[in-house]
Amino acid sequence: MNNKFDFREKKDQFIAKLLTKYPSLFRKWVHRSKFIEFSDSPWTPFDKDISKCRLALVTTGGVHLKSQKPFDMKDPYGDPTFREIPADARPADLTITHNYYDHADADKDINVVFPIERVQELKQSNEIGDVNYRHFSFMGHIMHHHIKTLMKETAPGVAAALKSDKVDIVILTPA
Amino acid sequence: MGLIQRTIEASGIATISISLSKDISQKVLPPRAIYPGLPLGHPIAFPGQTFRQKQILRLLLKYLKKMNVPGTIADFDLTESDDHSVTCDISTFG
Repeated sequence: MNNKFDFREKKDQFIAKLLTKYPSLFRKWVHRSKFIEFSDSPWTPFDKDISKCRLALVTTGGVHLKSQKPFDMKDPYGDPTFREIPADARPADLTITHNYYDHADADKDINVVFPIERVQELKQSNEIGDVNYRHFSFMGHIMHHHIKTLMKETAPGVAAALKSDKVDIVILTPA
Repeated sequence: MGLIQRTIEASGIATISISLSKDISQKVLPPRAIYPGLPLGHPIAFPGQTFRQKQILRLLLKYLKKMNVPGTIADFDLTESDDHSVTCDISTFG
């Protein structure tokens, strides 16, 4: 069982490296894959003064505190759970568990997928009003029955938390 | 990620995201997105590019306010080409 998982993990990481290195392969992969399709978008009008707004980050890059439980890489359908990341977490406190993209560069500088230090700098220069005390992170490989969990439980849970924190702006970064 | 963005926007918070694939974004239709032409794993540029990373965030904030049509994907070519060898050359700039 472990050998089987090790092989699949290495295969996933190898494919992720290829898709990262060759954008044309990634485009072919996208064309062959199925995604949930919509014909319209939800909309919250925005006309606030950004320099007075509270901002939070949400990433699907598989970022989490080293002290938190890693995302589940053994389930081929992914992991629909999320991790709460304190806004004052240091890059050294963070790690990435996500075998479906090549995060070698993000391992060197977490801001590449999760710009936690850059948003603090925007606050220091008064370009935004505040950084929320917490950000949120998912692992973006979510398939099959986990999509229902994401849509019914975990994504609404994060939305409710951001709402209760009185967050004005959410910037989302994929991986 | 688009599904999460749609859920947050529907709860009444304005959102904007980086898109790494126009094809995916055109299907999932996040409320607001910017496609910077950066490769997978690099939505906010490359390691150590502090200024460039911050500029991408500023671009997101600018377009958060500017966009007024739901499902808009603004297309920016922040790299010289989507050819990886070129995007990696750019990564060497600070």
